[in-house]
Amino acid sequence: MGNWQRLVWNQRDALFSGLVVTVEICLIAFACAIVGGLLLCLIRMYVRPLRPVAIVLIEFFRATPILVQLLWVNYAWPALFGWPDTFFTAAWVALALQSSGYLAETFRGGIEAIPRGHREAAYSVGMRPMLVFRRIILPQVALSTAPSIVNQFTVIVKSSTLVSVITVQDLMFESQRIVNIWYEPIEMLTATAAIYIIIVFLVSTAGKALSDMLRRRFGIAAA
Amino acid sequence: MSEVPTIRVVDVHKRFGSLEVLRGVSFEVHRGNVVSMIGASGSGKSTLLRCINHLETPTTGDIFIEGESLCFRGDAAGSRAPRPLSEINRMRRDLGTVFQQFNLWPHMTVLGNVIEAPNRVRGLSRKAAAQLGGECLARVHLEDKALEYPARLSGGQQQRVAIARALAMQPKVMLFDEPTSSLDPELTDEVLGVMRELAADGTTMIVVTHEMGFAREVSDRVMFLHNGLIEEEGPPDQMFGAPKSERFRQFIAKYLY
Amino acid sequence: MSETLQQLLDISIFWEYRTVLLRGLAVNFYVFVCAAIVALSLGLGAALLRVSRRRPLRALGTLHVEIFRNAPDYVMVVWVHFVLPLLIGTLLHTRFELNPFVSAIIALGFVYSGYFAETFRAGIEAVPIGQIEAGRSCGMSDRHILWRIVLPQVVRRMLPESINQFISLFKATTIVSLIAVPDLMYQVSMITQQEMRPLPLYTGAALVYFAVILVASYALRAASERWRNKIFA
Repeated sequence: MGNWQRLVWNQRDALFSGLVVTVEICLIAFACAIVGGLLLCLIRMYVRPLRPVAIVLIEFFRATPILVQLLWVNYAWPALFGWPDTFFTAAWVALALQSSGYLAETFRGGIEAIPRGHREAAYSVGMRPMLVFRRIILPQVALSTAPSIVNQFTVIVKSSTLVSVITVQDLMFESQRIVNIWYEPIEMLTATAAIYIIIVFLVSTAGKALSDMLRRRFGIAAA
Repeated sequence: MSEVPTIRVVDVHKRFGSLEVLRGVSFEVHRGNVVSMIGASGSGKSTLLRCINHLETPTTGDIFIEGESLCFRGDAAGSRAPRPLSEINRMRRDLGTVFQQFNLWPHMTVLGNVIEAPNRVRGLSRKAAAQLGGECLARVHLEDKALEYPARLSGGQQQRVAIARALAMQPKVMLFDEPTSSLDPELTDEVLGVMRELAADGTTMIVVTHEMGFAREVSDRVMFLHNGLIEEEGPPDQMFGAPKSERFRQFIAKYLY
Repeated sequence: MSETLQQLLDISIFWEYRTVLLRGLAVNFYVFVCAAIVALSLGLGAALLRVSRRRPLRALGTLHVEIFRNAPDYVMVVWVHFVLPLLIGTLLHTRFELNPFVSAIIALGFVYSGYFAETFRAGIEAVPIGQIEAGRSCGMSDRHILWRIVLPQVVRRMLPESINQFISLFKATTIVSLIAVPDLMYQVSMITQQEMRPLPLYTGAALVYFAVILVASYALRAASERWRNKIFA
């Protein structure tokens, strides 16, 4: 099994740079997905005239497979909008779109779950809607939807493996490139699979611990 | 008494971790007896009933169903091994249990609930089981609800279905674990009424209950449990009319003002 | 821009290739059904392991779930298609090849068995213990109780959650296009290489999936609501 050293360990620089790209794409996509999801959710719930648009967009992003969205954003959008200009951008845009659809629905569920009385109590002491939203609604929604948000991040990480298809040099791309050179796929692909599984496992465990801690700290879930 | 007692409990102890709930209970129940077990919460009466159908395993002691040991299987060499689950299941067929929470199976109709065990445990054909089921439902006055789902019935009706389900196995003993404690007061009468009819028919019954009226009027024998022991037992007139132990006196004082 | 708009609205190209594209969609369904069968069976097995009374069995179930739930679909498909045949080949001392259909079904089946296992486990643990005790009190064996009392309720209770996972699985079948299984996306890619008109083709593909999944999810949800209301009214 000295093969492991030759085939995997010696390539660690390339793999590491691929991992960096993966992490970058996932973080950017995650941040945009949260913003986008929140935007879509608020428009759907509070901006009457644009409601149908928001609903269609949300359903569209949720119902189309991520691979389809990646290819569509990468090949069709530049012709339509002249943007994205790089594969990297297309990658995180597509990932963000997919997750923003799910997060929009998650946020909507969280907002609707807050008892009406909370809002009424806030209005009764003279708080304006924006303040109510920022100080009463948003924190509770953040806490109750924390597990779903963490879950969505793991989905982004898992979906990011597909960006190699549009030649973004993430971990999967580097791994397959090396396999194509040496053609000894066993060690490299197994190692790659193990790395991804471990990363996703760590992310979901850490995320769960974080959200549990936050919820306990703010008194929502009992330990 | 030449006849083998239907149920014989011999020095049963039950411990949960460091908590000893039953501290040595012994009694016999013969065919046709109606025995009520009363006592405060935590006195061990439910645990005792659950030992009789082996939902709980006694820590020490034994229980005999018509002379056959429930907990141990004796072999020719005279040594005793714990009875395996398959044989316990065989013996459970002769015990019918009615639970406080009814525990009807929600995805089956009323009739489905009643015939499930006769059909698949005793091996009756579906037709024979359905016939038997119909008769049992008639005994609890619910034959018209046979094709309903449990969720649509009231608590009292569900409990009566549970009684029919237990009867359908034609058990030697009917065990009742606080059958009316989960029911609204208006609904307890219909269930107690059915239980009275069963007693009048000669069904052997062991009933854990808080309904003192039932205990007094329907049972042949009342057992008062306290702290895991039978504090006092005897015919209801004697028990309620002239209570011997102080604790029992205090207990019934709360119920019979 | 107007030329691209015109190109976009030129659905005719989609129409022209409709037979081959529909056949591709059928392939997606075929892979979906087979993978779903694998995923449900393995998922049920893993869930039963997870609720077992014996610790080594529980550990085994947890291991299965944690590995496959956290594995990216694409990575698993690639691994099963390229690595597994080599491993089996060395074991059997022959050259072994896996049909890409089979690779996809195995890979997606295992990955989604992780999700279904958790769904089943939650459903099993949600069945009130009293119902199981009622079964035991009649002398029912644990196996009888599992199949006649517990699992029917698990299926009904976990149906909405399962529908979401089925839809995810269906969406995941597009990955098979990357190992040369002729599904819808594969056909689209082939046609694009020929016709060099990505806009209507990729947009059209997206719309097809959108339509299929939208209709399917509404239909499935409506049907499951009606079925569940009968019992959990």
